[in-house]
Amino acid sequence: MNILISGGCKNGKTAFAEDIAVRLSAAGDRYYVATMVPFDGEDRARIARHIAERADKGFQTIEQGRDIAGCLTRANRGGTFLIDSTTALLVNEMFPFAGKSVDDGAANRCIAGLCEIAKTAKNAVFVTDYLYADAARYDASTENFRAALAAVDRALAAVCDTVVELCVTNVICHKGGLDF
Amino acid sequence: MDLIIGGAYQGKRAYAKEKYALTDAQIASCTERGDLPLGARCIDHLELYTLRCVKDGVNATEVFRAHAKEWENSVLICEDIFCGVVPMGAEMRAWREVTGELCAYLSREAVHVTRMFCGLAQVLK
Repeated sequence: MNILISGGCKNGKTAFAEDIAVRLSAAGDRYYVATMVPFDGEDRARIARHIAERADKGFQTIEQGRDIAGCLTRANRGGTFLIDSTTALLVNEMFPFAGKSVDDGAANRCIAGLCEIAKTAKNAVFVTDYLYADAARYDASTENFRAALAAVDRALAAVCDTVVELCVTNVICHKGGLDF
Repeated sequence: MDLIIGGAYQGKRAYAKEKYALTDAQIASCTERGDLPLGARCIDHLELYTLRCVKDGVNATEVFRAHAKEWENSVLICEDIFCGVVPMGAEMRAWREVTGELCAYLSREAVHVTRMFCGLAQVLK
Protein backbone atom coordinates (compact mmCIF):
# COMPACT_ATOMS: atom_id res chain seq x y z
CA MET A 1 0.00 0.00 0.00
CA ASN A 2 1.45 3.34 -1.06
CA ILE A 3 0.00 6.74 -0.23
CA LEU A 4 1.01 10.21 -1.37
CA ILE A 5 0.00 13.14 0.84
CA SER A 6 0.24 16.67 -0.52
CA GLY A 7 -1.10 20.11 0.31
CA GLY A 8 0.06 23.49 1.52
CA CYS A 9 2.27 23.93 4.55
CA LYS A 10 0.75 23.87 8.06
CA ASN A 11 -2.24 21.82 6.91
CA GLY A 12 -1.50 18.81 9.12
CA LYS A 13 0.21 16.57 6.55
CA THR A 14 2.83 15.10 8.89
CA ALA A 15 0.38 14.30 11.72
CA PHE A 16 -2.04 12.74 9.22
CA ALA A 17 0.79 10.75 7.61
CA GLU A 18 1.88 9.44 11.00
CA ASP A 19 -1.64 8.28 11.83
CA ILE A 20 -1.94 6.56 8.45
CA ALA A 21 1.43 4.84 8.97
CA VAL A 22 0.33 3.65 12.42
CA ARG A 23 -2.88 2.20 10.95
CA LEU A 24 -1.00 0.50 8.12
CA SER A 25 1.68 -1.07 10.29
CA ALA A 26 -0.48 -2.39 13.14
CA ALA A 27 2.08 -4.61 14.83
CA GLY A 28 4.81 -4.36 12.19
CA ASP A 29 7.93 -2.24 11.98
CA ARG A 30 7.24 1.45 11.57
CA TYR A 31 9.91 3.81 10.22
CA TYR A 32 9.94 7.57 10.12
CA VAL A 33 12.40 8.42 7.34
CA ALA A 34 13.53 11.98 8.06
CA THR A 35 14.94 13.75 5.02
CA MET A 36 15.63 17.20 6.40
CA VAL A 37 19.30 17.96 7.02
CA PRO A 38 19.29 20.70 9.66
CA PHE A 39 20.91 23.90 8.52
CA ASP A 40 20.39 26.20 11.49
CA GLY A 41 18.76 26.54 14.90
CA GLU A 42 15.30 27.00 13.37
CA ASP A 43 15.61 23.64 11.59
CA ARG A 44 16.86 21.92 14.74
CA ALA A 45 13.95 23.31 16.76
CA ARG A 46 11.49 22.09 14.10
CA ILE A 47 13.05 18.62 14.14
CA ALA A 48 12.94 18.50 17.96
CA ARG A 49 9.23 19.43 17.84
CA HIS A 50 8.51 16.67 15.28
CA ILE A 51 10.40 14.08 17.37
CA ALA A 52 8.36 15.04 20.46
CA GLU A 53 5.08 14.90 18.52
CA ARG A 54 5.69 11.35 17.32
CA ALA A 55 7.36 10.10 20.52
CA ASP A 56 4.50 7.80 21.52
CA LYS A 57 3.61 6.57 18.02
CA GLY A 58 6.22 3.81 17.91
CA PHE A 59 8.39 4.99 15.03
CA GLN A 60 12.02 4.14 14.53
CA THR A 61 13.66 7.19 13.01
CA ILE A 62 15.99 6.79 10.03
CA GLU A 63 17.81 9.92 8.89
CA GLN A 64 18.21 9.78 5.14
CA GLY A 65 18.80 13.18 3.57
CA ARG A 66 20.06 11.85 0.23
CA ASP A 67 20.05 8.53 -1.71
CA ILE A 68 16.58 7.87 -0.31
CA ALA A 69 16.39 4.16 -1.20
CA GLY A 70 19.34 3.70 1.19
CA CYS A 71 16.82 3.63 4.05
CA LEU A 72 15.68 0.19 2.82
CA THR A 73 19.09 -1.33 3.61
CA ARG A 74 18.81 -0.16 7.23
CA ALA A 75 15.30 -1.46 7.78
CA ASN A 76 12.94 -4.38 7.28
CA ARG A 77 11.23 -4.04 3.90
CA GLY A 78 8.18 -5.74 5.37
CA GLY A 79 7.62 -2.63 7.47
CA THR A 80 5.89 0.69 6.88
CA PHE A 81 7.96 3.67 5.76
CA LEU A 82 6.89 7.27 6.24
CA ILE A 83 9.02 9.50 4.01
CA ASP A 84 8.85 13.10 5.25
CA SER A 85 9.38 14.86 2.94
CA THR A 86 10.11 14.63 -0.78
CA THR A 87 10.59 18.41 -0.74
CA ALA A 88 13.51 18.34 1.69
CA LEU A 89 14.96 15.31 -0.10
CA LEU A 90 14.93 17.13 -3.43
CA VAL A 91 16.52 20.22 -1.87
CA ASN A 92 19.38 18.06 -0.58
CA GLU A 93 19.82 16.28 -3.91
CA MET A 94 19.44 19.36 -6.09
CA PHE A 95 21.51 21.86 -4.11
CA PRO A 96 24.17 19.59 -2.61
CA PHE A 97 26.84 22.15 -1.83
CA ALA A 98 26.46 25.84 -1.11
CA GLY A 99 27.82 27.84 -4.01
CA LYS A 100 28.03 24.85 -6.37
CA SER A 101 25.84 24.62 -9.44
CA VAL A 102 22.45 22.95 -9.30
CA ASP A 103 22.38 19.21 -9.91
CA ASP A 104 19.99 18.67 -12.83
CA GLY A 105 19.83 14.89 -12.35
CA ALA A 106 18.35 15.30 -8.88
CA ALA A 107 14.67 14.85 -9.79
CA ASN A 108 15.30 11.60 -11.67
CA ARG A 109 17.41 10.23 -8.82
CA CYS A 110 14.66 11.09 -6.34
CA ILE A 111 12.00 9.50 -8.56
CA ALA A 112 14.06 6.30 -8.95
CA GLY A 113 14.73 6.02 -5.20
CA LEU A 114 11.20 6.84 -4.08
CA CYS A 115 9.65 4.47 -6.63
CA GLU A 116 12.00 1.71 -5.43
CA ILE A 117 10.62 2.21 -1.93
CA ALA A 118 7.05 2.20 -3.27
CA LYS A 119 7.68 -1.03 -5.16
CA THR A 120 9.65 -3.00 -2.58
CA ALA A 121 8.50 -1.85 0.86
CA LYS A 122 5.29 -3.35 2.23
CA ASN A 123 3.78 0.08 2.90
CA ALA A 124 5.00 3.58 2.16
CA VAL A 125 3.55 6.97 2.98
CA PHE A 126 5.09 9.93 1.16
CA VAL A 127 4.68 13.55 2.22
CA THR A 128 5.19 16.34 -0.30
CA ASP A 129 4.36 20.04 -0.58
CA TYR A 130 2.05 21.81 -2.98
CA LEU A 131 3.89 24.91 -4.25
CA TYR A 132 2.23 25.50 -7.57
CA ALA A 133 -0.71 27.83 -7.32
CA ASP A 134 0.49 31.36 -6.74
CA ALA A 135 1.11 34.44 -8.84
CA ALA A 136 4.75 34.95 -7.84
CA ARG A 137 7.42 35.00 -10.51
CA TYR A 138 10.47 33.08 -9.36
CA ASP A 139 14.11 33.16 -10.37
CA ALA A 140 15.27 30.38 -12.70
CA SER A 141 16.77 28.27 -9.92
CA THR A 142 13.55 28.31 -7.85
CA GLU A 143 11.44 27.68 -10.95
CA ASN A 144 13.62 24.66 -11.80
CA PHE A 145 13.09 23.39 -8.30
CA ARG A 146 9.29 23.76 -8.56
CA ALA A 147 9.26 21.94 -11.90
CA ALA A 148 11.47 19.16 -10.50
CA LEU A 149 9.36 18.68 -7.36
CA ALA A 150 6.20 18.57 -9.47
CA ALA A 151 7.81 15.86 -11.62
CA VAL A 152 8.54 13.86 -8.45
CA ASP A 153 4.94 14.37 -7.30
CA ARG A 154 3.45 13.24 -10.62
CA ALA A 155 5.67 10.14 -10.70
CA LEU A 156 4.67 9.21 -7.14
CA ALA A 157 1.00 9.94 -7.79
CA ALA A 158 1.15 7.51 -10.71
CA VAL A 159 2.57 4.62 -8.63
CA CYS A 160 0.68 5.26 -5.39
CA ASP A 161 -2.62 3.49 -4.63
CA THR A 162 -4.00 6.54 -2.84
CA VAL A 163 -3.31 10.27 -3.38
CA VAL A 164 -4.76 12.83 -0.98
CA GLU A 165 -4.52 16.56 -0.50
CA LEU A 166 -4.88 18.06 2.95
CA CYS A 167 -6.63 21.39 3.36
CA VAL A 168 -6.57 22.74 6.92
CA THR A 169 -6.51 19.11 8.15
CA ASN A 170 -9.44 18.08 5.88
CA VAL A 171 -8.83 15.32 3.35
CA ILE A 172 -9.48 15.67 -0.39
CA CYS A 173 -9.03 12.30 -2.05
CA HIS A 174 -7.70 12.44 -5.63
CA LYS A 175 -7.03 8.72 -6.15
CA GLY A 176 -7.93 5.50 -4.36
CA GLY A 177 -9.31 5.65 -0.85
CA LEU A 178 -8.52 5.36 2.82
CA ASP A 179 -10.51 2.24 3.65
CA PHE A 180 -7.81 -0.21 4.68
CA MET B 1 -16.06 24.53 -24.06
CA ASP B 2 -14.17 22.62 -21.41
CA LEU B 3 -11.97 24.40 -18.90
CA ILE B 4 -8.87 22.83 -17.34
CA ILE B 5 -7.41 24.59 -14.32
CA GLY B 6 -4.50 23.66 -12.07
CA GLY B 7 -1.23 24.79 -10.57
CA ALA B 8 2.03 24.93 -12.46
CA TYR B 9 3.43 21.57 -13.67
CA GLN B 10 0.36 19.58 -12.64
CA GLY B 11 -0.10 17.91 -16.03
CA LYS B 12 -2.84 20.10 -17.54
CA ARG B 13 -1.57 20.04 -21.11
CA ALA B 14 -0.73 16.31 -21.01
CA TYR B 15 -4.25 15.59 -19.73
CA ALA B 16 -5.83 17.69 -22.49
CA LYS B 17 -3.80 15.88 -25.14
CA GLU B 18 -4.86 12.49 -23.88
CA LYS B 19 -8.47 13.30 -23.02
CA TYR B 20 -9.28 15.09 -26.29
CA ALA B 21 -6.79 13.23 -28.53
CA LEU B 22 -5.05 16.48 -29.43
CA THR B 23 -1.83 16.89 -31.34
CA ASP B 24 0.65 19.59 -30.35
CA ALA B 25 -0.33 21.47 -33.50
CA GLN B 26 -3.92 21.75 -32.21
CA ILE B 27 -2.81 23.43 -28.98
CA ALA B 28 -2.14 27.16 -29.30
CA SER B 29 -0.27 28.74 -26.41
CA CYS B 30 -0.92 32.31 -25.37
CA THR B 31 2.07 34.54 -24.76
CA GLU B 32 2.61 37.79 -22.90
CA ARG B 33 2.78 39.64 -26.21
CA GLY B 34 0.61 37.82 -28.73
CA ASP B 35 -3.09 37.93 -29.57
CA LEU B 36 -5.57 35.42 -28.25
CA PRO B 37 -5.34 32.42 -30.61
CA LEU B 38 -9.09 32.27 -31.25
CA GLY B 39 -10.40 29.34 -33.21
CA ALA B 40 -7.80 26.89 -31.95
CA ARG B 41 -9.09 23.51 -30.77
CA CYS B 42 -7.21 24.06 -27.51
CA ILE B 43 -5.86 27.29 -26.03
CA ASP B 44 -3.19 26.93 -23.34
CA HIS B 45 -1.76 29.46 -20.87
CA LEU B 46 -4.72 31.82 -20.66
CA GLU B 47 -2.85 33.35 -17.70
CA LEU B 48 -0.24 34.72 -20.11
CA TYR B 49 -2.94 36.35 -22.23
CA THR B 50 -4.45 37.96 -19.12
CA LEU B 51 -1.00 39.25 -18.16
CA ARG B 52 -0.77 40.88 -21.56
CA CYS B 53 -4.25 42.37 -21.09
CA VAL B 54 -3.24 43.86 -17.74
CA LYS B 55 -0.19 45.47 -19.32
CA ASP B 56 -2.25 46.83 -22.23
CA GLY B 57 -5.27 47.93 -20.18
CA VAL B 58 -7.59 45.50 -22.00
CA ASN B 59 -10.53 43.76 -20.26
CA ALA B 60 -9.78 40.08 -20.90
CA THR B 61 -13.23 38.82 -19.94
CA GLU B 62 -14.86 41.28 -22.37
CA VAL B 63 -12.61 39.99 -25.15
CA PHE B 64 -13.76 36.44 -24.44
CA ARG B 65 -17.40 37.52 -24.21
CA ALA B 66 -17.19 39.31 -27.55
CA HIS B 67 -15.71 36.25 -29.29
CA ALA B 68 -17.73 33.52 -27.58
CA LYS B 69 -18.61 31.79 -30.87
CA GLU B 70 -14.92 31.30 -31.61
CA TRP B 71 -14.07 29.29 -28.47
CA GLU B 72 -17.40 27.68 -27.61
CA ASN B 73 -16.10 24.30 -28.78
CA SER B 74 -12.55 24.70 -27.53
CA VAL B 75 -10.59 23.30 -24.60
CA LEU B 76 -9.22 26.16 -22.53
CA ILE B 77 -6.33 25.76 -20.08
CA CYS B 78 -5.40 28.22 -17.36
CA GLU B 79 -2.88 28.05 -14.54
CA ASP B 80 -4.14 28.43 -10.99
CA ILE B 81 -2.30 31.51 -9.72
CA PHE B 82 -4.71 32.24 -6.89
CA CYS B 83 -3.38 30.60 -3.74
CA GLY B 84 -0.27 32.60 -2.84
CA VAL B 85 0.31 35.67 -0.74
CA VAL B 86 -1.12 38.88 -2.22
CA PRO B 87 1.68 40.05 -4.54
CA MET B 88 3.55 43.26 -3.68
CA GLY B 89 3.37 44.68 -7.20
CA ALA B 90 0.16 46.36 -8.39
CA GLU B 91 0.46 44.75 -11.83
CA MET B 92 0.70 41.26 -10.33
CA ARG B 93 -2.30 41.97 -8.09
CA ALA B 94 -4.30 43.15 -11.10
CA TRP B 95 -3.17 40.02 -12.97
CA ARG B 96 -4.65 37.75 -10.29
CA GLU B 97 -7.89 39.76 -10.25
CA VAL B 98 -8.32 39.72 -14.00
CA THR B 99 -7.38 36.05 -14.34
CA GLY B 100 -9.75 35.13 -11.52
CA GLU B 101 -12.60 37.07 -13.09
CA LEU B 102 -11.98 35.41 -16.46
CA CYS B 103 -11.81 31.91 -14.93
CA ALA B 104 -15.04 32.49 -13.00
CA TYR B 105 -16.78 33.53 -16.24
CA LEU B 106 -15.33 30.61 -18.22
CA SER B 107 -16.22 28.21 -15.42
CA ARG B 108 -19.87 29.28 -15.67
CA GLU B 109 -19.85 28.89 -19.44
CA ALA B 110 -17.96 25.58 -19.47
CA VAL B 111 -19.58 22.18 -20.00
CA HIS B 112 -16.83 20.53 -17.94
CA VAL B 113 -14.35 22.02 -15.50
CA THR B 114 -11.41 19.85 -14.48
CA ARG B 115 -8.73 20.61 -11.95
CA MET B 116 -5.36 18.87 -12.30
CA PHE B 117 -3.43 17.82 -9.20
CA CYS B 118 -0.17 15.83 -9.37
CA GLY B 119 -1.18 14.59 -12.83
CA LEU B 120 -4.61 13.44 -11.58
CA ALA B 121 -7.85 14.90 -12.87
CA GLN B 122 -10.51 16.13 -10.44
CA VAL B 123 -13.85 16.87 -12.08
CA LEU B 124 -15.33 20.03 -10.60
CA LYS B 125 -18.20 20.44 -13.05
